[in-house]
Amino acid sequence: MPVFKTPFNGYSVKFSPFYENQVAVATAQNFGILGNGRVHVLQLGPTVTERAAFDTADGVYDVCWSESHDSLIVAAVADGSLKIYDLSLPAAANPIRSLHEHARECHGVDFNTVRKDSFLSASWDDTVKLWTVDRPASVRTFKEHAYCVYAAAWNPRHADVFASASGDCTARIWDVREPGSTMILPAHEFEILACDWNKYDDCIIATASVDKSIKVWDVRNYRVPLAVLNGHGYAVRKVKFSPHRGSMIASCSYDMSVCLWDYMVEDALIGRYDHHTEFAVGVDMSVLVEGLLASTGWDELVYVWQHGTDPRAP
Amino acid sequence: MATPPSDSPPSSAAGKPPNPVSVEPSNGGNPDTKVEAVKESSPTSVFVNTEPIREEQVQNAMKFLSHPKVRGSPVMYRRSFLERKGLTKEEIDEAFRRVPDSMTDASTTQPAVSSQDGQIKSSSYVQQQPPTQVLQSAAVAPVGSASKIGMLSQFHWYHAILAVGFLAASGAGTAVFLKKSVVPRLKSWIRKVASEEDEEGLIKKNDAKPSVAEEAAAAAKAAAVAAADVARASQEMLTTKREEKRCFEELLSMLNAQVHEMKSMSNSIQKLESGQSVNGRIALDEQDNHRFSGTSSRQPYTNGKTDTESRSVRSTSPPVSAEPPHPKSYMEIMSMIQRGEKPSNIREINDAPPNPNQPLTNPRAAPRPKPWEVSQPQNTSVNTYPSQESSNGTTYHFQDNQPNGDDGVPWWQKKNVRITEVETSEEHNFGSSNMAAANDRPPQRSWVPPQPPPVVIPEAATAIRQPKKAAIQTEPMNDDQFLARSGDAIDELQKITRFSETAGGSVEASSMVPDTSATEIQREDNGSYLET
Repeated sequence: MPVFKTPFNGYSVKFSPFYENQVAVATAQNFGILGNGRVHVLQLGPTVTERAAFDTADGVYDVCWSESHDSLIVAAVADGSLKIYDLSLPAAANPIRSLHEHARECHGVDFNTVRKDSFLSASWDDTVKLWTVDRPASVRTFKEHAYCVYAAAWNPRHADVFASASGDCTARIWDVREPGSTMILPAHEFEILACDWNKYDDCIIATASVDKSIKVWDVRNYRVPLAVLNGHGYAVRKVKFSPHRGSMIASCSYDMSVCLWDYMVEDALIGRYDHHTEFAVGVDMSVLVEGLLASTGWDELVYVWQHGTDPRAP
Repeated sequence: MATPPSDSPPSSAAGKPPNPVSVEPSNGGNPDTKVEAVKESSPTSVFVNTEPIREEQVQNAMKFLSHPKVRGSPVMYRRSFLERKGLTKEEIDEAFRRVPDSMTDASTTQPAVSSQDGQIKSSSYVQQQPPTQVLQSAAVAPVGSASKIGMLSQFHWYHAILAVGFLAASGAGTAVFLKKSVVPRLKSWIRKVASEEDEEGLIKKNDAKPSVAEEAAAAAKAAAVAAADVARASQEMLTTKREEKRCFEELLSMLNAQVHEMKSMSNSIQKLESGQSVNGRIALDEQDNHRFSGTSSRQPYTNGKTDTESRSVRSTSPPVSAEPPHPKSYMEIMSMIQRGEKPSNIREINDAPPNPNQPLTNPRAAPRPKPWEVSQPQNTSVNTYPSQESSNGTTYHFQDNQPNGDDGVPWWQKKNVRITEVETSEEHNFGSSNMAAANDRPPQRSWVPPQPPPVVIPEAATAIRQPKKAAIQTEPMNDDQFLARSGDAIDELQKITRFSETAGGSVEASSMVPDTSATEIQREDNGSYLET
């Protein structure tokens, strides 16, 4: 299985929605505390090769691919800016855009899979901003959270609905046509670090928290979670629903493991990978190849492997 | 367009119930909210709260908001607390509405710096009376008790008291000082006068007095000299102690440095032996430290940012008792930054776009459909953002025949049934696997016109189309022929029924010319074509 060593600590990894063998990685120097950052674009094959790399002045906390353009990448940078890179242009022409409106670190970025032309940025300045690639300024700002917003995720079926996860212990559901949030989920007693929608049931959302658990909610009945997934030893950093199986969830945690869950099953934990030697901070499941997983962590390694196999096997 | 801050008066759109029939806020609702609710409630989105307001939650919130300690906190924190406790927006707004002045901060919140002066002015005429009364007792007591978190106006009140108190104290002090300085002058003046008046008669007394005074003065001088000597001695002792301390500290720091170096060396040796590359960075870092490191221009920025960074980084570590074990170099870097040092491996990078107006290139590949879109239908179209609303509006209106239909069944799931027929029939016609079909099909994702209502009464449908056939045969018939003809018609009707209900067309259609044309018209609607 391909492994790639990044010079900086890994923060996020995302598969390309256009090419099965391309992966973007967001990294930050000095664990993201203070230092430069780099965005890598890797080509998977018998070995992993680096197709492109872009340096940033500050750490990169998240990266996402455009859904409409096969060579555009958006990076969320710790200085509050969003950088857009075009892989079809030479490195000297990149980045093609720098969108700087957030007052604090940009921690999450997500591209709309339905409308395919807009994306969200989640920032530690308590706001979520909506952008399109062709506009230099944000289209909307959503300011309601009382603390850092760690992640924002578009609903896979509704072009206008998205969810945000925040350190104020709530997850909120928004509709871009409404000025404020439409639902408030007091999901956890501690900070919520990530959220994701079920691709096959657009009313189901999972939240991952510092309290080591992942909770799965149905927004039609949000007072009681559908499932509480315990098993991680420390805070859960990212959560992702599988694009191929409606009840499968992948998660990564500060306990250095990547876990796979099926929340509809009594014994929900169906897989556990302990390949990282530091915090596992980024995980993704490929949309184009069923069962293909990628993860990265503070041990500066990026793994890509098929579910059921050993990530570290050569 | 920025959304209003959460502590502004509740926005009516946020309080809109999705269902005009459901319970409105208990006070009857403003006319504004009602108007907007009716206007905007047409799509029954499931992503909105449909719960009615829970009165006990509102009561609890009111108790919370009426608490004196809560009064002093910013409105944002009060809202956030209630949200975390599970109250909906409507309930929170209702509680704020009921507790009269809960929307105003007792303190001024962050952005309203300029209004502080206004607040002082408005409150000053109220507070002028208390300070005069509290003058004497003002003293130093209020200083420690004034908590700075959010109590700015009260802080200014106390500030006024303190200022007046300080003035009074200083006045008293100067008075005392003056008295102390005036008394000796008076005394000396009295002495002079006395000596002038009683020069002859009181020579002895005068002599006695000056002598007493002289003795006193001499004693005082001696005491002063002794005190000065004592002071000098104590100062010398202090300085020697300080020097000793410095020496000790230097020794300690040198020892620490040596210990540190030894530790790092042993670490690097261990890591070299074990062959791990990760922790070898520590050795490299040690070497880097000796190199000339960065510019000072980043220092103010980094310091400001490191404060926020360290706060934010610390905030992501769990507040639960078990802290995840951070890597050793992470702790080193954190301690470096807390000391104000900058890690030396940071480069100055200019990551600004070289051409901010770089035109966007054209994509080289078409978007690929998602696995969940292929197997289950989509219900929205891919339009650019500005036109989204209009197309969505038409989509909702057209296909949502049953507003607020079943409980708990969202409207798009009902609608899905019809689109499933469209999609599956398309796939069936293409006759290939899912993925292949997905790849071959152009990424149209355009708004698919809904299928005409399913044929409920096939006979009626065909009867409507029958007139062509009937028109062709206008010969008069007697009863028997009519019965026979109607029997044939019934058989044909049955054939047609079967034919019209099958998904793919059949070649039999060609046998009935007018009907095939009718059914072809029907089939054209779903964009497929008959394949043999």
